[in-house]
Amino acid sequence: MAFRPFVAALLIVLAAIATVRALRARYYRVEVAGDSMRPALHPGDFLILRRGAPSSGQIEAGSIVSLHDATGRLLLKRVIGLPGESLRVGSTVLINRRRILEPYARGETPQAQFRGANQLADDEYFLIGDNREASTDSRDFGAVRRDRIEGLALFRYWPPARLGRLAIPARALGAEPSEPELPLGMIGPRTS
Amino acid sequence: MNIRDRVASLLRPDQVAHAHCDIPCGIYHPHIAQQGAESVERMCVLIGELGSPSDAAGHATLSRYVAEKEKAAELVKHEVRILWGDYFKPPHLEMFPDLHTKVWTIMKLAGAARGSVSIDDAKALRAAVDEFADMFWKSKE
Repeated sequence: MAFRPFVAALLIVLAAIATVRALRARYYRVEVAGDSMRPALHPGDFLILRRGAPSSGQIEAGSIVSLHDATGRLLLKRVIGLPGESLRVGSTVLINRRRILEPYARGETPQAQFRGANQLADDEYFLIGDNREASTDSRDFGAVRRDRIEGLALFRYWPPARLGRLAIPARALGAEPSEPELPLGMIGPRTS
Repeated sequence: MNIRDRVASLLRPDQVAHAHCDIPCGIYHPHIAQQGAESVERMCVLIGELGSPSDAAGHATLSRYVAEKEKAAELVKHEVRILWGDYFKPPHLEMFPDLHTKVWTIMKLAGAARGSVSIDDAKALRAAVDEFADMFWKSKE
């Protein structure tokens, strides 16, 4: 029967098309522009992201996520604060009053981007670029609701020398503070 | 186009994601303040050389020199304020306990330079701004 190979080829092509469409519905690719995620991401890196707002618990601290800003640009930033956490940004970042140890970060937050205490709501994330002295992020535009997060960066496929999965660094926090937190308006103990 | 570029163009995504910074965050340099102070001094010299103009062209030139001097003095204040407020942090104050006094002095000298044509005042401003710039570079060591 001559039409059998033809049918088989057609089925293979249809299956390939369906697979590609399914993958494109679930994943998308972006090219990185800008320096705010250095050293993790360089301009010109090609990434694969999982598409869509994740459900609760799917975004880990340390993940790199995408979202659109008010001007329509797609941004890439790292998740630093999780829903429900208390976060304070000075030259370092405190999570629930403990310093977060961030081997991926470079530089210190400029004083102009310092933020006081931020109590994150149950659906809010605080996103910061790794290049702390050259990033516009939650320090400027505030915490981001979960439904604004559009993708999770999974894999870098270009350049070949840096090809690989984008590992999520385990969160490490400094020691528990020994002093109780000062009430608002009190800047320190009187020394004289 | 080499092979690597060809492969990259084939694999290039159609969407760009910005790891962005809207303003030149963290890029600080005292050069503009120093240039402003130098401009103030230069304008004072030119005003002195021009003397008292007797015609319209001379008056126009004097006006331009004065306007430029005022603009440069204001630029000094602006740039020093940015470095002082945004760049310098509490640990720097431990290194330079007279930082606030130095900035305050620059503000006063720049204000005086706006209303004066004294080359000595301009030199004092320039010296103070240079000292401030030295603090900046030492803080980076």
